[in-house]
Amino acid sequence: MRDLSQLYTFEKLLEEANNALVREGIKRGLHSIGSVCSLAPEPLLNLPGCFSVRLRAPRTGSIDIGTYYMSSLLCECCRAILERAVEGGYQFLDCIIAPDACSQMNRCVENIEHLNCIENAFVSYFDAPMKSDETALRHYVRQMQEHVLKPLYEKLGVDISDASIRKAVEQHNQICCVLQELSEYRKEENPRITGYEFAVLCTATYCCPKELLIEKLTSVAEELKTRKPDEKPAFRVKVVVAGSEIDDPNLIQLIEETGARVVADRFCFGALPEREPIVLNDTEDALTQVCRHYLKIGKCPRYMNAEKVLERQEYVRQLVQEYHADGVIYQQMKFCDYWGYERAYASKTMRETYGVPTLSIDRPYVTGISGQLRTRFQAFVESLEIKKRGI
Amino acid sequence: MRYYGGCDAGSTYTKCVIIDENSKIVAHVTNRSRINPVLSAEAALNEAVSQVADLHSTRDLTYLVGTGYGRNKVPFADENISEISCHAMGVHMANPKVHAVIDIGGQDVKGIAIDTDGTVLNFAMNDKCAAGTGRFFESMANAFEMSLEEFSKLSLKAKNVIPITAQCTVFAESEVVSLVGEGKPMEEIAAGIQLSVAKRCFVMAKKAGATDSITLTGGCAKNEGLKQAIEKVLKIKVVNLSIDPQLIGAFGAAEYAKQKSPI
Repeated sequence: MRDLSQLYTFEKLLEEANNALVREGIKRGLHSIGSVCSLAPEPLLNLPGCFSVRLRAPRTGSIDIGTYYMSSLLCECCRAILERAVEGGYQFLDCIIAPDACSQMNRCVENIEHLNCIENAFVSYFDAPMKSDETALRHYVRQMQEHVLKPLYEKLGVDISDASIRKAVEQHNQICCVLQELSEYRKEENPRITGYEFAVLCTATYCCPKELLIEKLTSVAEELKTRKPDEKPAFRVKVVVAGSEIDDPNLIQLIEETGARVVADRFCFGALPEREPIVLNDTEDALTQVCRHYLKIGKCPRYMNAEKVLERQEYVRQLVQEYHADGVIYQQMKFCDYWGYERAYASKTMRETYGVPTLSIDRPYVTGISGQLRTRFQAFVESLEIKKRGI
Repeated sequence: MRYYGGCDAGSTYTKCVIIDENSKIVAHVTNRSRINPVLSAEAALNEAVSQVADLHSTRDLTYLVGTGYGRNKVPFADENISEISCHAMGVHMANPKVHAVIDIGGQDVKGIAIDTDGTVLNFAMNDKCAAGTGRFFESMANAFEMSLEEFSKLSLKAKNVIPITAQCTVFAESEVVSLVGEGKPMEEIAAGIQLSVAKRCFVMAKKAGATDSITLTGGCAKNEGLKQAIEKVLKIKVVNLSIDPQLIGAFGAAEYAKQKSPI
């Protein structure tokens, strides 16, 4: 397949947190809001006059400073983000909105605040519910009012009206619709888009001002309409990747280099289900509807009620069917508590109850050219291929 | 007669096996790996080819499969297959009744459950750390100022086991030096080392789903003390293979070459 003409542009956007579009947004007078978790509804951080940047630590080397403050037994992603903050990589932010969802990420943000890593920025923490029901919804809405909207209004002068939220949802949905369109191509027998390409595009939507990104994303969608895949597929099996956050598309590339095609992404920074458009009605306030949407689609293992646990497993099984995948890769960032339990339980269910071949691994934040991960992925791909086609 | 090659470019040793149409090994080579896997594989292949009268160069092999950490660097290989798949196939070809293997290589330990057709049912492997690998044993033998062969037999004489608490290769070496300095019996310290590696193998084997029969492959499979320790912790008899366990990965690769060859 010919390379996507915009791929390089998108790859460049992922090389640093303070990328070209972020700088452009700030130049235009927009406020930059740092976000560290999918439980912070994106439209609320992308109200007119501001934009959200999901924090990543691209090109991470040593995380010794992060480890000093957080210990070696906590998630490497959290340590890498703290390290990057100490290095001064997030100086462009006006604030960080952090949920008290994952306590490890919470400690990371507390350290960023305590060490005064970002000058003139404030931090606001909200409590995210662990269940998905009406009581939880009321709590969630209240938390958003008090710890997200109020500080944005009081400290940055952001318009937090119902109309403003609706406008942000509209823009959010534009991005979602384009990604959904691209996702549909991944269901093709010989998909015209690789998992790596999709991961690059999708990750960029979390890290750039949406109003500056939409045009580029739309142009990719336009190009893909007529893109023809290679006659002979460059992959041998299709897989769904599920699990904790993958903010580096090189991990997807590593999987694909071993002969797999990643056709669906059920992980933080992925599109399923995070990039489902939010449908608003005119009878209820937008904030409640946004919160309800996030509670409903939320697939974070922090939701511990039995219905949600089973729903997540069923969701992945459905993705396997819908995207014609041969297996699932459950991956988890080392020391992630929530995904540690989820991965063990879900991968067992996938194999034993649903009969879906599953690879279950934990991994470091920086995967680079990891030979051992490559061996694991390749062995899994080979086992799928041999079972599927014989020798 | 057609010949098929398997080249296992491991981190410590490069192994090469050539089989004929009946899956019979007609040539094999085990060489210490150099820093450049291309050169290591090239040398091993040339040496193996020279053992077969009908072959004049690597290109005369009908099909060649590369495996091991340097699998994608094997010159003239038609394809590469992970060592996990190759060890499973190699063991299956050597003894189809064995359904699990612990492969202890130079830089990692793998537990592999094998399906009835020689394919991988499930597997588990260690992470970045070199604890419990061939490098670990080399380091320990070095601390004892012994050859690897001498070290591997040392624990067989032990009446007691002195547990080694450190898992890290560097710290374990330091712990061993301290214990030797305290005058503890060398064979009992060695038994502690073997036991600590055996426990690591236990974890891998259980994670992979080993239940009944198990075998050891990789260079460390020749370590008698380790074999005995593994039998003790796993409570499963370790089956000896008729083929050199260090060659199993290359043998599996050669078998895959035969099965995958279009002619």
